[in-house]
Amino acid sequence: MPSLQAGYAPNLSFYLKSLKAQPVESSIENLISLLKRRQITNSRPCAVATAHLLLQVVAKFRWTNIDKLIKRIQDVGRRLIEAQPREMVVGNIVRRVLGMVRDEAKEDRNEDASDSASNSQSDRGASHSGGPPPTFSPLRFSTTDDSDSTEATGDDVFEGQSHGASRPPLITSHTSYAPAGGLPPQKSMFQLLSANPSPASTPPGAQSPQNTSNLNATSLAHRITTSTKDLKAEVIEGIEEIVDELDQADDRIAAQSLEYIHSNEVILTHSSSKSVQKFLLEAAKKRKFTVIIAESYPNDHEATHKSVTRSISTDAEGADELSTPKFSKSLSDAGITVILMTDATIFAIMSRVNKVILATHAVIANGGLIAAAGARIIAKAARVHRTPVIVVSGVYKLSPQYPFEFESLIEYGDPGNIVRYQDGALVENLEVDNPVYDYVPPDLVDLYITNIGAHAPSYLYRIVADHYKTEDINFDKPELQ
Amino acid sequence: MATVGNAPQAGTAKDFDIVETYHRLLSDDPDLTMPVAAIEALIELLVQSRAVTVFETLDLVKTQSDYLKSQIPNSISLSAGTDLFQRYMISSLKPSSTGNFDSVRQHLLSNGRLFVSRAKAGREKIANYGRHFVRDETVVLTHGGSRVVGALLGKAAEASASGGNVRFKVIYVMNDTRSSESKAVVSSLRLKGVPVATISEGAVGYAMGKVDLVIVGAEGCVENGGIISRLGTYQIALLAKAAGKPFYVAAESHKFVRLYPLGQYDLGIDQEVIKFKTEDEPDLTDAERTFANRTPTIEERSEYFGSSPIALPRPNTVVDAVDFTPPALISALITESGVLTPSAVSEELISLWY
Repeated sequence: MPSLQAGYAPNLSFYLKSLKAQPVESSIENLISLLKRRQITNSRPCAVATAHLLLQVVAKFRWTNIDKLIKRIQDVGRRLIEAQPREMVVGNIVRRVLGMVRDEAKEDRNEDASDSASNSQSDRGASHSGGPPPTFSPLRFSTTDDSDSTEATGDDVFEGQSHGASRPPLITSHTSYAPAGGLPPQKSMFQLLSANPSPASTPPGAQSPQNTSNLNATSLAHRITTSTKDLKAEVIEGIEEIVDELDQADDRIAAQSLEYIHSNEVILTHSSSKSVQKFLLEAAKKRKFTVIIAESYPNDHEATHKSVTRSISTDAEGADELSTPKFSKSLSDAGITVILMTDATIFAIMSRVNKVILATHAVIANGGLIAAAGARIIAKAARVHRTPVIVVSGVYKLSPQYPFEFESLIEYGDPGNIVRYQDGALVENLEVDNPVYDYVPPDLVDLYITNIGAHAPSYLYRIVADHYKTEDINFDKPELQ
Repeated sequence: MATVGNAPQAGTAKDFDIVETYHRLLSDDPDLTMPVAAIEALIELLVQSRAVTVFETLDLVKTQSDYLKSQIPNSISLSAGTDLFQRYMISSLKPSSTGNFDSVRQHLLSNGRLFVSRAKAGREKIANYGRHFVRDETVVLTHGGSRVVGALLGKAAEASASGGNVRFKVIYVMNDTRSSESKAVVSSLRLKGVPVATISEGAVGYAMGKVDLVIVGAEGCVENGGIISRLGTYQIALLAKAAGKPFYVAAESHKFVRLYPLGQYDLGIDQEVIKFKTEDEPDLTDAERTFANRTPTIEERSEYFGSSPIALPRPNTVVDAVDFTPPALISALITESGVLTPSAVSEELISLWY
């Protein structure tokens, strides 16, 4: 196996292999330079690399205090984002990990405060973050002996149920009395009137804050230091969950394909996305249909051609970690009628298309998406013909940042793909632009299919709220906080 | 028991008039929004009242809120405040909740100023979020006298921490019926070095081609994510949509109001905007009092919707008239809890009421 120094183009699998052996700091530097040199590109490889790196960061970092850990993750995250700001997944993964650490810490605090109410609390935390596992027991052992250290448990030993309701300060909102189905919003309208000005806790009622502050001041710091080991294990487990989610995202999306692709339909897609490929291949197991692929010249046409005819595991970075046998089947091998055509014919063919399926580079909080160049033409043509546009995307691509300027999200690639540098006459007299991505506004998309289900674009803000904490959204830009 | 609050003036000190208090609060502090003024007025009511039981207090607050609403021509915005206050009291006085009656009452009474300052801090926060929408070389179209929008544009004009200020221009749509307010907004922006062009309402479509984004304020954000705002907002939103320009609303979350209008004539208030007249008969005849010819009044509507106002409010004049902008025209709402899509409003409201 050639090492990084051997002159081979390093890619994701090399990086992942090098992670264990190298010290953390050089791993970070390594990933930064890989991102800068575009040797790791595209959403999934970036996400996987980031998640694995953060796993090492957490595992090898000595910390006594949860704030220190959060600070450390933020520092690493900031450097990675600076290295390649347009790979938005890097920031997403860092935010997911930060949110998960905060959840674990809060749970830890909750367990300290009381055992009796911890079940309902934990469930709430889990559904709130989406990522972390619903297993919370390890921490409870260390806290069984300190019920006397909190007044909260003192007076409520006889009725755990009412106690749960009387401890709202630890929940992020006032909805503790609301039906269990409703997720607590990040902030509530009661904030204006609440007794406690802190945005993290808006309980109705005045006495409980004393309990919490007492708890925070004395028992909490102590408790965290004693249970750091457990917390660390929890955090690492949480990051592994995120890694698993990255691995399984495409399968989860593909599992829904039969609901959306019917027999004899004509599907239009473009570029060579693995999520879309899997989606189509899964449906092809049961149904016969036609796929029209726009070749997306000049940035992705070679990979697109390959995906139609040959094994797609031979091209494109990051494919090596996914090269399972069943995946190396091409679309035409799977019995799909495949029609490859140039991008210019998209509008002409649209009247015969039943459904458009798009892949994404990143999804942004307003419901719009960044996708390979040409996506907006397709979406617009589909709108003219009233053809439904379906976007397949893992939740990890969903970014909580609000795009104030869509132009800044579009990356410009190598103009040599359009006009060769040897072509002197043209190069001298022309300015050649080669945008790699397109921004598709939310009103051109009908449905998002993610690994957690199908959603309307207007619902995406809710998924953002479920997966990211508000305090983490702008962690890399302190002036926005 | 139930009789205590039913007559609006009974049960409290005779000299306390909530409507007058509300107007006084609004005129004393030009920065106060209507919902917050309503909350302040209700707090003063609690100070004056001698109600000692939970039910008595809630009943008093409810009847006085209804009375206040009935006396104000356009009660949509202020009802957001009274509703929020009532929901807060109900939820914090629930048996399962931590608050007992005395502590909740004491908290509300002693923190009146705090609520006002929080509401104002919310405006600052919105300005902080919103100024990032204003980029170099952009042209912003706005109208009305919204203080949030004023704060937002003012913030954008200020030099940022990283150095250098944003160079943007503003097109302000003048309102003939409220020219003093329009002039104040324009001059305060020009004072900050922002180039401002003033256009008439008829020129919005003409100017839209030069505009990069529209930012307006709102009196109330309704349940479907639409907004109720100064007359003229709807047409600006329609034109912005037609031209493909983003349309942003800057509003505090205490303006979220539980109302689900389906159209312009569905707001629950009377507005004398459309008045048919002929030369020889200046007043309406009975024959003209048909549903189709005119904005329907409260009386006609209550036939179908069964509302029972204590007294019928005065109709809204053209100066204060509002219109409803449906959610499909709104790109995003900039609130102090972040930049929300219109559908997030209903969720906030649902979490408040259920």
